[in-house]
This record gives sequence, structure tokens and C-alpha cells, in this order.
Amino acid sequence: MSAFVAMKGVSKLYGATKALTGVDFACEPGQIHAVLGENGAGKSTLMKLMSGVIQPTEGVIELNGTPVTLPSPRAAQAAGIVCMFQELSLAADLSVGENILLGAPGTGWGFLPRGRLARARKLLDRIGGEAIALGARIEALTLGERQQVEIVKALMRAPKLLILDEATSALTSTIVDKVFDVLRELKAQGVAILFISHRFHEVEAIADRVSVFRSGQHIDSFAAGSRSQAQIIDLMIGQPMDELFPPRNAGDIGDEVLKVEGLRLPGGFEDINLTARHGEIVGIGGLDGQGQGKFLQALFGIMKGVQGRIEVNGVPRSITSPRDAASAGIAFVPEDRKTEGLIPNMSIGENLQLSALSRFRGGLIGRGNGIDPAAYDALIAELELKFAGLDAPVSSLSGGNQQKVALIKWLALAPDCLLLLDPTRGIDVKTKAQIYRLMRRLSAQGMAVVLLSTDYDELVNLCDRVLVFYNGQIARSLSGDALTPEAVVAASMGVADAA
Amino acid sequence: MMGFAKRHADPLIPLIGCVLLIGFGALFFPKFLTATYLLQQVQIAAFLGVIATGAMVVILLGQIDLSIPWTLGGAAIISTAMAASGHTALEVLAIPAGLGFGLLVGVINGVGVAVFRIPAMVWTLSVNAMLLGLAVINTGGFNPKGEASGLMIAVATKTTLGIPNAALLWLAYGAGVLWLFRRTTFGRALFAIGNSEKASFLSGVNTTRVIFAAFALAGFSSALGGLLLAGYANQAYQSMGDPYLLPAIAAVVIGGTSILGGRGSYAGTVAGTLFVTLLTSVLSVFQIDPAWRQILFGAIIVAMLLTQRRRIM
Repeated sequence: MSAFVAMKGVSKLYGATKALTGVDFACEPGQIHAVLGENGAGKSTLMKLMSGVIQPTEGVIELNGTPVTLPSPRAAQAAGIVCMFQELSLAADLSVGENILLGAPGTGWGFLPRGRLARARKLLDRIGGEAIALGARIEALTLGERQQVEIVKALMRAPKLLILDEATSALTSTIVDKVFDVLRELKAQGVAILFISHRFHEVEAIADRVSVFRSGQHIDSFAAGSRSQAQIIDLMIGQPMDELFPPRNAGDIGDEVLKVEGLRLPGGFEDINLTARHGEIVGIGGLDGQGQGKFLQALFGIMKGVQGRIEVNGVPRSITSPRDAASAGIAFVPEDRKTEGLIPNMSIGENLQLSALSRFRGGLIGRGNGIDPAAYDALIAELELKFAGLDAPVSSLSGGNQQKVALIKWLALAPDCLLLLDPTRGIDVKTKAQIYRLMRRLSAQGMAVVLLSTDYDELVNLCDRVLVFYNGQIARSLSGDALTPEAVVAASMGVADAA
Repeated sequence: MMGFAKRHADPLIPLIGCVLLIGFGALFFPKFLTATYLLQQVQIAAFLGVIATGAMVVILLGQIDLSIPWTLGGAAIISTAMAASGHTALEVLAIPAGLGFGLLVGVINGVGVAVFRIPAMVWTLSVNAMLLGLAVINTGGFNPKGEASGLMIAVATKTTLGIPNAALLWLAYGAGVLWLFRRTTFGRALFAIGNSEKASFLSGVNTTRVIFAAFALAGFSSALGGLLLAGYANQAYQSMGDPYLLPAIAAVVIGGTSILGGRGSYAGTVAGTLFVTLLTSVLSVFQIDPAWRQILFGAIIVAMLLTQRRRIM
């Protein structure tokens, strides 16, 4: 079969930095092609070249066998290439419907062809977005819901090549399944699909062909299923890697660190009881928007009107602001590292200090804040943070390294309890493994670790105990042999007993 | 982090502008190159410089203070009235009362922005309107009575070792603010909140307190500027603050501070203040119609804003 889009000898340089070197790559109609690689492997550069955002330094891009230039995303769209970027590109103040139709074909002069909104509604319903009203403002949606809107926005443009860059990173498995059904249908209609994801089970579920990129080079392409997960990971990082998930803590589970009793937030969650002990990682799962996110935010003092009792190391705490939470020994790594976890324009050093700002004696930065600088150095070394210098802005780091900064800035305070919201979303395998090992070590050393995740691989393989939220309550608590992917999925859908 | 040129780019543009203005003026009027003229300009710049310092603190937060005119005027009216009251106790308290008034207005601005979360543009504009009303009720619409105290006159008009006292005060005040920016957690939090209030709050920064303090500092700066101007003119007068709002914001923006907050250098604001003062002087020496002066000021601010547009991607 001939390729729809083919790249021949394509290189892209940013100054002296080689983002992509001599890449030959093709995607064919009616095929779902997964692209794998660590952050910085050149995947995003590849997508940007295909969708007209940037131009190649060398080499040619061919469309149906003819060399073309794609000077802008608009030109690429006219050629049938539609890209859904990892960085969500929705206008927060506009409605869902307005966003979906923004720039869609036939809407250029402000006219809305009949039936467009009805079609958008139908597509949203098909991918599990029944609860998303077309009139709702984007700002009011959760991250996962926004991704669903992004997907519909891309589908509305009737693509011939659909590029999905981490398009499913915040979606729960049931919704991902629905999205995949739609993708398979598109495939049957002859659409070429490029699928970038860091979730192996998703790639295994949907891809026909897999290509691996590393350090700006196209390493290998092969039929899906012809290599094992371990072999693929080795290709991605260029050297054999230990198991992705560290072994569970073999020793005893220790004392209670965090104890929550009867926590409730009207309209958010009801009567939540939770204990997190030394040496265990407590996972929190569930479909998007079942109250689990608000629950963790409540523990960190972000939500107003929370009732109930929170104890840290046996001491009752009243937590009404992040400052209270921090002084109670609770750390919180939010979902969106670019807008919530970090300040991208400020330097790495300033970002690291931000969580310890209130601890400087007399409000003077020159004096100590009770944190040993060696604590930062040790964490930086353990996580292998790659950075030019502490003066470099956080925005100069790759996504995985940014997340490391977001973690280090809290861990340096040596908190008793660490709350994590989807910390590995959109992050490469190597960094994921580093973060998993770190979480295991911290928990073994007595920190209570609570991990909210949309990736059930993580919940099942990393956590000791998983609490599944459904409709604002804990539907099930799973541990030991009962902790299986099937059980997590069943519980998150409100099915009473999967067994 | 950045190269020397880039790090020092903020004050560079207005400083080059200053040199060009002086050079241009000197072509026609040789007195532009005398120490007397330049020192006089620095003295006049000091008034604007103190006011612009406050404006900058608030702009760094990503907010704005439009109550500068009547915070300044109110402080001047209170101080001059007390200084001329004839009661020793009131005379002694004249300056602290004026400055305290500025702090109070700043705190009221802070309440609106930090607690009620109303956009600063609307809230501070309303506060300015209310202050204007209060001043009119107080004076019956006539020029306020009273005169500046000896200390106010000495600071605003006299010199020490040939240097205007006002400039020395500006220098000390600026050094203090620079220290706040560089060495204190308040300064760090100010820049952090200007970049992302959300991320700062989630990092445990007491954002409410920082916003309060920033507006209080801005109110204090306006009041200090008002007392200097009253000392210079030996009186307070209605709408004495009106000609300072736009130039103060212009000085900050021309000095390279981002109007969106989070980025800027104090050296830039100092250079911007000198540029605005020199430009005003050149325009009046060349007897340019005030209408054109306004157009030029507006155009310069617009031009600076165009250089710091938000990028699409």
C-alpha cells in the first residue's frame, strides 16, 4: 500500500540542537501507527513537521507520493492532516460547541452550516462525553473532559491523517475504549492514524504498527505484537532497563501517618475515610470527576466548605489553605505541572524555593529556611534531573524533567504525607520508572504516599491498596490478590462485584 | 541565565532615549548640557520616580493601581492642612498622617483585589472617584487651604552638596525597594504571583498577604509623591495628581516591566522615569501643544506594549 504522508531524510535543527536527524517515516491509509519514544526523542517534532507547525531543515515531505511544503497548520488541514496536540489548545472562556467549531471547515465567515452542532453532539456521546454540555464553558471542565472535546474537535475536521499526541493521557480506561472504537471505525474508512501514547496497554490494544524513536532518530518499525514490552522499552531507552515497577515493600506496613475520617464536601464527595501508613502507597482510582480529585484538593486546603477530621501522625489538623497543609506536613503535586505545579518562566532554583518561601527566617531570602541545600542535590541526583543550571527557566526543561522539579520542590521539605495527582501523565518510561522507585523509597522511609492515577497499570502494579471512587464515595478498597485491572475497572463503573 | 545584553536590556532602551533627547535638545539649546539643567531634571524626575515605584510593584503582580491621582492629592491636602493648622501636635503629625492616608487607601485597594477578587482596574478606579468626591466635599470645591511644612519644602526643593534632596530620597527609596525585590520573600512572591497566582497559591505562598502589601506599598508611594509635590509647590491643589497617572504607568512600561506581571527590573523603571521626565521637558521647551504631548505619550505606551505582546504559541 502506498503511503499517504512520507518523510524522506528529514532533519530538523534548532540552532545547534538536532531535534530530528535523517528520518525516513511513512504512514499509510487504514493503519493505526503508534510512535513510541522517551520525551525528547523527537516525536513531537515529527508531529509538528507533519502538521505544518514547523518546517524541516533538510529532506522532503511527500503527500501521496508528491513532494509538498506545509507552510502552516491551516495548509496541513486543507491537505487532510489534522493534529490533536498534547498541549491542550482550547479557548477556556468559550463554550464546548464554540471550541469544536472554531476553525472547522465551512465556518470561516461566521456561518454555521446546519447540522454541525448536532454532529458534534453525536460524536461527544460516542466517546463517552454524554455529560459534557455543548453550552458548557471549557473552564468548567476537567482535564479529561477537555481532552474529549479536543478529540471531537479533531474528528469534526474529517481527517485523512489523524495525529493524536498523548490524546488519551487524562482519560479513564472506559472512555479510552470508546475513543478506540471510533478510531477503529476511521481506520476501516481508510484514515491513517498516528498514535502517540506512553501507555503500553493502549498501544497494544490499538496499534497495527509500532515505530520507536530515540534521540531524534527513527530506530525501528515493526508490526504490533511482534516484540515484547521489555524489548520495546530497551529500544526506547537504548539499554536494558529494570522492571518498570519496583517490587512492593516486603516488610511490614507501619503506623498510620495520614488518617481521614468522615470527610465530606457538599456536591463533591461524601463521608470519605482513609488511612495511609508507613511503607504503603495508597492508590486512588475511578472515572473522571467522581470526587477523587476534589478529595485530594480538600486534603491540601484548596476546597472551601470541607467538613470532617484530618490527622497527621496522630495530631488533628485544621487545614483551610495550602499553607496550613504544608505546615501540617502535607505536600501536593497538582495535575497540571505547567499552570499549577510550576512557574515555567521562573528559574529552576526559584521554583524549587517557592514551596519553602514562608520558611525563610524574617522573610529574608539570604538567610536559611531550615532546608539543607544537600537535600536538593540528593533529590536532583536521585531523579537524574537534566538541566543546564539552576538559573535556567523551568520552561527550558522537557516535560519529564519539569515534573521532577515539581516533585523535588516539595520533597525537599521532607513532608510526612505526599499527595500526587496523576504525576506520570504524558511522561516518558524512564522518568516514570524513576518516579516509581522514588515513591517506593519514600514510602519505605515512612512517608505516606497517596497517588491518584488515571492509568490502571500504575494502580495495579505500584500501589499496595487502591480506593476506587464512584459518585463521590469510595466504591471499593482493593488490595492483595483482589487488586486486578478488571476489579479496578468494574469498581470505577459502579459494578458491585466483578468476581 | 541570559547574556549580559539581554539582562540589561530593560533600562537600555529608555537610557538610549534619554541620551538622544539630551543630544537633540542640546543642538538647539546648549543649556541642555549644563549640570544645572540636568540636576533640575533629576529633581523633577524624583517625584515621578517615587510614584512610579509604587505603580511598578502593583504592575509586577499583574494588577494596576488607578487611584494614584487622588491618593496623591488626598495625602497632600491632609498634610498641608495639618501643617498649617497652628496646633503643634497636628503639625508634627502632618507627614505621618499623609503617608498613613496613602497606606490606608492601599489597604482598601488590597481588600478589593485580594479578598473580594474584583479586577484592580475597576476597583481602584472607583476608589479614585470616591476620593475625588471626598476631597470636593472637604474643600467645597475650592482650592484646599494650608501650606507645606518646613521639612516637606526642604526635602522637595533644597539640595545637599549640590544634589537635590528629592533625588537623594528617590535613591534611598529605590534602594529599599530593590532590596525588597531581590532579598525578601515578599519580592520573590511578588514576581511569582505575577507569573502565576495559582501555582504560587498551590506552593503555599500567602498570596492574599502579598497582594495586600503590594497595594499598601503603592498607596504609600503615591502619598510620598504627593507630599514631595506639595513641598515643591508649597501647597496642595485640586487634581494635582491627574498629570501623574499616565506618566507613572508609562515610566514603568517603558522601563520594560511586563504589563501582564511577573517580569521587570527596577533599573528599567528608573530609566523609564528619567526618559518620561526628559521627554516632557523637551516637549515644553520646544513649545509643543499639550494636545500633541498627550498623543505622543499614548503612542509611546502603545509602542512599548506592542513589543511585549503575548505570543500565540
